Amino acid sequence: MRKAVGPIARRSEVIRQQRERGGWVAAVLPIHYPRALLRSFDLLPIEVWGPPGIDPDHGAAHVQAYVCSIVRNALSFILSGGLDVADVIMVPHTCDSLQGLGSLLLDLVRPRQPVVPFYLPRGERECDIQFLAEEFRAISRQLEEITGRSPSLLELIECVKRDEEADGLLGSLHHRRNELALNSYEFYRVLRAREYLPSEDFVELARSCLACAAEAPNVGVPLILSGIVPEPMSMLALIDELGARIVADDLACCGRRLYPNGVSEDPFVRMAERIVRSAPDPTRGSPLADRSEHLLRLAAGSEARAVVFHGVKFCEPELFDLPVLREELKRAGLPSVIIEVDLNDPLSHQVRTRLEALLEMIR
Amino acid sequence: MSHAVRGLGIDVGSTTAKMVAVGSNAEMIWHWLEPAEPRVEEQVARFLDKAAAALGPLSGIPSVATGYGRGLVPAMRRVTEITCHARGVYREFAVGVTLVDIGGQDSKVIRVGSRGETADFSMNDKCAAGTGRFLEVIAQRLAVPLERLGPIALGTSEEVAISSTCTVFAESEVISLIARGVAVGAILRGLHRALVKRVVAMIRTVGLVAPLVLSGGGACNPAICQLLAEETGMAVHLPRHPQLVGAHGAALIALEKDAD
Repeated sequence: MRKAVGPIARRSEVIRQQRERGGWVAAVLPIHYPRALLRSFDLLPIEVWGPPGIDPDHGAAHVQAYVCSIVRNALSFILSGGLDVADVIMVPHTCDSLQGLGSLLLDLVRPRQPVVPFYLPRGERECDIQFLAEEFRAISRQLEEITGRSPSLLELIECVKRDEEADGLLGSLHHRRNELALNSYEFYRVLRAREYLPSEDFVELARSCLACAAEAPNVGVPLILSGIVPEPMSMLALIDELGARIVADDLACCGRRLYPNGVSEDPFVRMAERIVRSAPDPTRGSPLADRSEHLLRLAAGSEARAVVFHGVKFCEPELFDLPVLREELKRAGLPSVIIEVDLNDPLSHQVRTRLEALLEMIR
Repeated sequence: MSHAVRGLGIDVGSTTAKMVAVGSNAEMIWHWLEPAEPRVEEQVARFLDKAAAALGPLSGIPSVATGYGRGLVPAMRRVTEITCHARGVYREFAVGVTLVDIGGQDSKVIRVGSRGETADFSMNDKCAAGTGRFLEVIAQRLAVPLERLGPIALGTSEEVAISSTCTVFAESEVISLIARGVAVGAILRGLHRALVKRVVAMIRTVGLVAPLVLSGGGACNPAICQLLAEETGMAVHLPRHPQLVGAHGAALIALEKDAD
């Protein structure tokens, strides 16, 4: 008998609680950002991955037809008042489309909230860490002006360490996923609660899930899921229904954000170290060789038999890498399939056929 | 004669529905093809009646359904069109191939390995570019019967470049060309080239290994065959029944399961 995970607080509820106790809210666009820095200003980061399933028309006049649905939806969401609850909008320079969104928000369709953009270095060198730490210091100065607050370095390092604890448990969830009493859909609901729950609440949730072991290991054809965001989430239920299971992921919203602990006692450097030293990511300019090595390592460690590349349509950083990655995996005997989705589309029959065909290949 | 039938394959595609019966040596002993109807269950029931009339009672004969409508077919098992096409083409060619299947509303490229397994595949199924629908729309616009498209395209050496692979944009482009007085043959040749180039892009994603085989309704169009050969620099082989490869593969899988 599987033990159910208790209810996970909804975004709206978490935001309401933050507001009620006098805290502020930061809407944050994907992917990497200084979560602890925001928390030190009592700004609760709420990540905006689209959201899916909204009317994208509000944004259509401002962006090209080939801009991905994450950016298009986010712009529509902002313009239609969906982010009115936020006090700050943070836009990392993750890709050209998100940089374009940042420019639009700063210069053309100005929302009522201050917009905080920042650059992410495309490399993993010491100078990249220093560059990112400087970006974070600049954001800190900006947030001081916006909020009128000045958290101490001690307060900031405490926030960083709280994040490290939450991320450590996030890592445990990933590594022990096969032992947990959660199906794929439930498992990713838990992981994705990290997108909006305060770290301290996520720690509690993670601990309760880790204490909830399955009576027998989960079975099914082991797969790796790679891409940006597992939407529509019903795809996860389909994977279970087809007799497969996700044993590891290389998703931008999940596995690519298993940030290691930092080492520096300077909180700005430490936050930068964590992001720069995380798993390879095309939006951070990781070399293709690192990406394929990472995928092969994930496959070896999880005994995965195939990779599902689940991309958001028009996502350039992902698409650029796919032909070479697929070839490398094929050479290593690991088949893969590409599934492209638009965040506003329901799960299609075509997705089902591709997944079924992949499973027929390896069964 | 029912003792001769050992497996049934039913391929319900978006444009045509097909059924194949195989004997104990995996040979195709009966087949049927007609345009797909929206009421899949009723159409399949009628197919089974036809098969029973031709072959005798079919109860107990293992069956496999494939294609877009496979979920609605009362079959012993459902298998994707990818696997069924791989099985069907391997039965006929007995070597690994690159199979291009151009159907009415989707196209697929399947790398079939030396043991008949699916080594890789690519599908184009959300957009009409690179599918038979692309040509259907244009045929309608030019008032040319579908079966004449290929011969007319090959009947001229003139060719205009069609820059749009999107069916809707290509149709607009064709309207402009007609207005400029460009010959229909030259337009059609350009359209076939655009379709084939889209398919070749899909072939590149799985890698081209000889022999190259073309199946589906697209294989009935001689211009697609010729231009595919030109664009890939490789001879294009056609199965005996290009539109029945998936149904045949499904019947073979049914036969194997029966033997199991």
